[in-house]
Amino acid sequence: MSTTEATSAAAPAARAAAGEAVTVSNRLSPREFLSGVRVVAGRELGAYFGSGIAVVYTVAFVVLSNSIFMNEFFLSGRIDMRPYFELMPLLLAVFLPAVTMRTWAEERKGRTIELLLTLPIVPLQATLGKFLAALGLYLFFLLGSVPIVIMLAALGQPDFGQIAAGYLGLIGLGMLLLSAGTFLSALSGDQIIAFVTSALLAFALVLAGNDRVVAVLDGLFPALGLGTFLLETVSIAPHYGAFVAGAVPLSAVAYFGLGSAAFLWINALVLERNRA
Amino acid sequence: MIAVEHVTKRYGAHTAVADVSFSIAAGEVVGFLGPNGAGKSTLLKMMSTWLLPSEGRIAIGGHDTLRAPLAVRRSLGYLTEHNALWDGMRVDRFLRFMGRARGLTGEHLERRTEWVVQACTLGEVLRKRLQECSKGFRQRIGVAAALIHDPRVILLDEPTHGLDPLQVVAFREFIRSLSPGRAILFSSHVVSEVLSISDRVLVIQQGRLIADTPVPEIKAGARASGQEVEQVVLDIVRRAGTPAGSAAPAAAGAAS
Repeated sequence: MSTTEATSAAAPAARAAAGEAVTVSNRLSPREFLSGVRVVAGRELGAYFGSGIAVVYTVAFVVLSNSIFMNEFFLSGRIDMRPYFELMPLLLAVFLPAVTMRTWAEERKGRTIELLLTLPIVPLQATLGKFLAALGLYLFFLLGSVPIVIMLAALGQPDFGQIAAGYLGLIGLGMLLLSAGTFLSALSGDQIIAFVTSALLAFALVLAGNDRVVAVLDGLFPALGLGTFLLETVSIAPHYGAFVAGAVPLSAVAYFGLGSAAFLWINALVLERNRA
Repeated sequence: MIAVEHVTKRYGAHTAVADVSFSIAAGEVVGFLGPNGAGKSTLLKMMSTWLLPSEGRIAIGGHDTLRAPLAVRRSLGYLTEHNALWDGMRVDRFLRFMGRARGLTGEHLERRTEWVVQACTLGEVLRKRLQECSKGFRQRIGVAAALIHDPRVILLDEPTHGLDPLQVVAFREFIRSLSPGRAILFSSHVVSEVLSISDRVLVIQQGRLIADTPVPEIKAGARASGQEVEQVVLDIVRRAGTPAGSAAPAAAGAAS
């Protein structure tokens, strides 16, 4: 360690030493809030790309999703991207929990959560930063499907409006699953538990819209109509299905937007409560 | 600059910190002594806003840790107990991240980063990942991160852990050089280390503050009684269970 004296002219401690009053605000301006979110998101994205997670996950996701679509495409021969969008919920129910499982569980295990949350940021900033980084990685996944769009455009006249709506649906679906996964990671100190619980929740949300599952649940509890109730209230299927069909209904936008916001908000509350 | 008033921390039936009170003024370097599990780290965690006290009040730079946690976090630099760092990050990127998270930007961020790199002699590991750095370097990186925003209050949990003897000596001088205008509280197991850096020693055992004694007083007492200074401090520790209010005079008495 060097004993060189601090040289920062505007340094608070130096000003305090000189007898100058130093005021420190407990407020967070919107600009400071966004700046904190951006700093955390930048660190998280750096961790994804620096560790190779981004490359491995992206390659696996793109190879799997594009292979399944191309198989369907060669069988049907239709210039249509809907089969790609239709296979995504089940695929994302596995891949997105794998992305989010580390968000808070790794911080807890490595004890870096204390370092992060004693910085001058509020838990909601840290939560949003981690969520946006995961969303950024997910969008990187989706870039792998652009060659499909180019191929369809080269081979015929695809419905670009429907494709755009399908991508919006994917973004909404991704936001919901990522926010849920981030929240469940905050509840757990273990990445495996975070992955399993997130995947279970994702599958439950996806399968609650499956016709067979709805029929079985309705059959088990005829008086309650449980299957239909879950389909109409919590299932991803009707909302995501509307996007895949080429529509952008406000109710579906609200479902994904408010659902994501609720998970992120609870996530921040969980972090705040952990201080007690 | 630091005021801890009747602070208690309970985990269920277990009391980790019991009715601890002390204050530290600007310019003071205070050493926090105590065995493992005595409550040193718990108290530092509460001061850093990471944990909430079950009872009592903590103010850092005049800001209450419960009512104004953000102002507290802005005021202090904190080296955590295990100095956990994001291992995959490069050292230079980690320091810049810590600076940015504390609101430093542009030239100010560059200037402060340069200063902590020079002050903590981190030049040779700047491009390395944190996981590639030795324990001593990691400790210095943790200290650098705690100082990057030039805080008025510095809390260091076992800052010399993992440093070699030469680095410990350099660290002592470094901490002393930081003291003008700042309140510094650091914890340690090593009595001689605390006595060589500090103006005052706080001794905590089983969650209770059992002594709050100026170092010159301990040294003078040791000279008068012909005892080693470490022995005087150990005598204080042996009186564990004595309420803090009466422990300090008792310690002084032992010293004189």
